[in-house]
Amino acid sequence: MTFLVRQIALKSNGEEIVRPSTIEGDELLIGRDSACAVHLPDLAVDPRHARARIERDGVLLVESLGEQPFEADGRSTKSRTIDPAVGAELGFGGHRLTVSRDADSGAPVITVRRIEAVSESAEDIDLGSAFTLKGLLPGKRASAWVFALAMLVAFLAVPIWTYATYQPLAMDKDARRPAGVHGDTAWKSGHLSLAHHNLENDCQACHTKAFVAVTDNACLTCHKEDAHSHIPDGARLLRARGEPQGMARLTQAVASTFNRPQGRCVGCHTEHEGAGAMPATRQQFCTDCHDGLRSRLPDSKLADAADFGTAHPQFRPSLIRTVAADGKPVFAQVSWAPGLKEANGLKFTHAQHLSHSNGVAQMVRRRPGQFAANDALGCQDCHKAEAGGARFKPVVMEEACESCHSLTFDQIGGTFRTLRHGQPEQVVADLRAYYRGGAPTRPAMLSGMARRIPGDAARTASAADYARAVHFYPTRGDQAVAQVFGKGGMCFDCHTVTRTGGAATDGFAVQKVAQNTRYYHVGWFDHTDHRKTDCATCHTRAKTSNDASDLLVPGLDGPGGCRSCHVGEDGAKLAGANVKDPVKSGCAMCHAYHMDGGEPWKPADERKKRAIVTTAVADRPRLPAVMR
Amino acid sequence: MASLAPRRRTGASRERTATHEGFLAHRNYRWLKLSAALATLLIGLYLFVPLPGTHFGSSWLGYTLGTIGALLILWLTMLGVRKRAITPGRWSLKAWTSAHVYLGLLLIVVGTLHSGFAFGWNVHTLAWALMMLVIVSGMFGIWVYATLPRALSENRYDAEGAITEKQMVEAIRSLDRQIHDAAQPLDAENAVLVNRSLEEDPFAGTFWNRLTGRYPKDATRAAAGELRQRRAFLPRRADDPLDKVDALLTRKEAMLSRMRRHLKLKTWLQAWLYVHVPVTFALIAALSAHVVAVFFYW
Repeated sequence: MTFLVRQIALKSNGEEIVRPSTIEGDELLIGRDSACAVHLPDLAVDPRHARARIERDGVLLVESLGEQPFEADGRSTKSRTIDPAVGAELGFGGHRLTVSRDADSGAPVITVRRIEAVSESAEDIDLGSAFTLKGLLPGKRASAWVFALAMLVAFLAVPIWTYATYQPLAMDKDARRPAGVHGDTAWKSGHLSLAHHNLENDCQACHTKAFVAVTDNACLTCHKEDAHSHIPDGARLLRARGEPQGMARLTQAVASTFNRPQGRCVGCHTEHEGAGAMPATRQQFCTDCHDGLRSRLPDSKLADAADFGTAHPQFRPSLIRTVAADGKPVFAQVSWAPGLKEANGLKFTHAQHLSHSNGVAQMVRRRPGQFAANDALGCQDCHKAEAGGARFKPVVMEEACESCHSLTFDQIGGTFRTLRHGQPEQVVADLRAYYRGGAPTRPAMLSGMARRIPGDAARTASAADYARAVHFYPTRGDQAVAQVFGKGGMCFDCHTVTRTGGAATDGFAVQKVAQNTRYYHVGWFDHTDHRKTDCATCHTRAKTSNDASDLLVPGLDGPGGCRSCHVGEDGAKLAGANVKDPVKSGCAMCHAYHMDGGEPWKPADERKKRAIVTTAVADRPRLPAVMR
Repeated sequence: MASLAPRRRTGASRERTATHEGFLAHRNYRWLKLSAALATLLIGLYLFVPLPGTHFGSSWLGYTLGTIGALLILWLTMLGVRKRAITPGRWSLKAWTSAHVYLGLLLIVVGTLHSGFAFGWNVHTLAWALMMLVIVSGMFGIWVYATLPRALSENRYDAEGAITEKQMVEAIRSLDRQIHDAAQPLDAENAVLVNRSLEEDPFAGTFWNRLTGRYPKDATRAAAGELRQRRAFLPRRADDPLDKVDALLTRKEAMLSRMRRHLKLKTWLQAWLYVHVPVTFALIAALSAHVVAVFFYW
C-alpha cells in the first residue's frame, strides 16, 4: 500500500511547482509537525491533526486525532470515509487536500495546495485606499448627493406641494388649513405679529399666488371694515410721493424688475418681524409724501408737514360758528390763533368761577366736601371725562351748575319745586300756574268772625284792596316770568335771551346752546395721556377768561401749545421754543393713516390698558373721510 | 586655522532651507487683508446705513449681501473643480486656496449680516447654519493642516530614517511571515493564539478606532499577553520557540502601533472633509430652497 502526496507550491509568477512523494504504508499523518507525511506549515493545523488510513476495498478513512475537526467537501467533520475513485476535497486551516486515485497504480493521491496566505497582512492590500477613510465613512460624493437631495425634497418639493394643495383656500377669510405641520411653514422667515397670529399656519392666506408679491386684496379679504384707504386714488398717492431719487430710485427699479409693486399695504405693514405687536410705522412713511406735498400736488388743500417739532402747519380747530334753530351746531374750521371766539350760545365766566377770593370761592368754603377742593371751584367740578377719558362730556346744567344756580321757586313741606331747565315753555307754564293756583290771602277783617273797626269805611277799603289784589293776581305770574327771563334773572345769567319767542313763552326765547366736544378731528388728542398735567398748563386762558365764547383750546405754539412739550420724532424743535421736558413725537402719535376718526394705531407696548373708548357723539357732523 | 567657509559653497549641505510659503501666508496675507477690509466695510455699512423697515434681509443692503454671499458660496465650491485642474500661473492652486480660505471666512460676516440676526426654525436659518458648519469644519481643516503634518513626519522618522506607508505594510508582512515560521513548533493551543494575530487585518477597526488610535480588541496584543501569561508558569528552556514568537509579537505590536498612529493622524487630516464637502452640497441645496422660497412667497 502506498500514498502519492503531491505538494504544490506557487512561483512568484503564478506557475505551479509540484513536489511528488510516495509514502509507503497503509496510513499517514496529516499535521503541522514536520514528522507528518502530509506536513502543513499552518498554525491553524494541529501538530498531529488527522490520520488517513486505507481500509479494505481501497477506501480511505480520514479522522481527526484530537478535538480539532477538518473540512470535508466544505463540511466540518472529525471523520470521513472517502472513495479515492470518487475523490473528495479536504480542508485543513489554509490548506486544501484533494483526494483522488492514481490512474496507473490505483494508489490514493493526496494533492496539497496552500490556498490562504500566511497572514491577513500578506493578502493584497490596496495602498491607495488602505490609509484613507474609504469604507469607514460614507463616501463624500454619496453623502453629498443624499444630503442635497434631502434638502431639496424637504425644503423645496414638499413646501411647493403643500402650497399647491392649499392654494384654493386663498382669498377666503375663514378658510384655515388643518392643524399640524405644513411643509411651507419651513419657509417662514419670522413669526407673524400678534394680530395675525392665527394665520401663522396658513401661508396661503396672504401668499395667494406663487411668485406674486402679497397683494392688497389679500389684506382686504379680512380687513373689510377697518382698513380705510388713505385716499382712494392710488395714482394720486404715488404722485404725492414724487419720483424717488438716488438710492431709492435704484431700489425701486430693482423692486419693479422683481415684480414687487409700490404702494401696497405691506409696504408699511411689514410682517414676519417676530411675534408681538407690529412695530410702529416710522415718521418717514408720512413725510415721504407730506413734506413738500404742495409742490407735487398743487391742488391739495393740505399744508406741507414734516417733523412736528419744526415743520408742522398750524392746527385748524373746528369751531361752532352758530347754533341752528334746531339746536344743531354749525362748525367751521379755522386756523388756530390767539383770541379765537366760538359761538356756543352760553355765558360763562371761567375766571370768576375759578377765583380763590370772590363769592364763588366763599360759597365753596361754606359747603366743604361738596366740591373737589375746599377753597375754590376746580375744572373737574363741572367738566367730566367721557368713558375712556379721551375727551370730556358736555357740561350738564343739572349736574354742574344747579347746585349753586338753583332753579327752585317754591317749597311745599320739605320738597322744593324747580323750574325745568331747557324747557322755557314749561318754565312759563309752571310760573303762571303757581300764581293762578290760589287767591291772595283774604284779610281777616273781611271774615264774619273778625273784629273790626266800627263803621264800614275800613271794611270797604279792605274789600276794595282785596278785590284789586284778586283782580291783579295773574299778572304777578307774568311779572315773575319776565323776571326769570329778563336781565338779572336765572336764565339770563347763563343764556342769551331774546324777545323772539311765541305766546307760550311770553315772547321770550332762549338761544340754543351747543358744546364742542372735539376740536381737532384729523389729529388725535387723549386727555388720559395728559392726566398728570394740570389743566391750566395747556388751557392757560381758563383763569383769565370771562367770556364763554373765548376758545380755551391750545394750538400748536404759544402758551400752553403742544410744542411746549412735544418735539419732533428725533427731538427736533423750533429755535424759539423753550421745551423743558421734551416728548419725542412722530406723526403716528396723533395721526392715523387710515382716517377713520378713531385713535391712531399704537404698538401694544405703548398702549395703555383702558376701558372702551367711546368717541361717537351723535350730533357731530363727521368730517369727510377723504381729504381732497 | 580653519576658516569658517560657508558650507553652502559646496552645495552639499543636508540642511534644507525652507523657502516654502504656505497658502495661509500666500503673497504676504493678501487675501487675509482683503477679507478683513471687506468685513470691516460690510459691518460699517450694516451699522451706519439708514434703511427703511426692520426686516434686514429684505432691505437693499440685505439683498445685496445675500447675492454676494450666494455667489461667494458657489465660487468657493469651485475649489473642488479647480484643484483637479493643475495649472500654474497667476491663479495658482495656492493662490486659489488662499482666497478660498479667507473669502470663506469673510462669508461668516456676509451671511450673518444678511440674516440681520433674525434666526428661527426655518429653511433660511438652516442655510445659515449649514454655511457655518461648512466654515467651521473648514477652519478645523486649516488647523489640522497647520499642526498635524509635523506629527505625521515625526512618526514616520526613526533612527533608520523615514518609513513610507508601503514600507509599514511590508514590515508587518515580514513580521507575520517570521511569526508564522517561528510558531511552527508550538502546540495546538499556542499556535491558535498566535494565528489570531496573523489573521488580524492590520487595517481593521472602525472610524472611531482610527480617530482615537485605540484598539481595545487588538489580537496581537491579546495573543502576546496570553502567551506571556502562559509562559510564566512554564519552566525556562534554552531554545524555547515561545521566546522567539514573543519577541516577534512585541516587534509587531510596536510596528502596528506606529502604523496606527499614522492612521490616526491621517484620519484627522481627512475626516473634516467628510463634513466640509457633503455639507457644502447640502448648503447649496438649502440655499436654492431659500432663494426659491423668498421669491415663491414674494
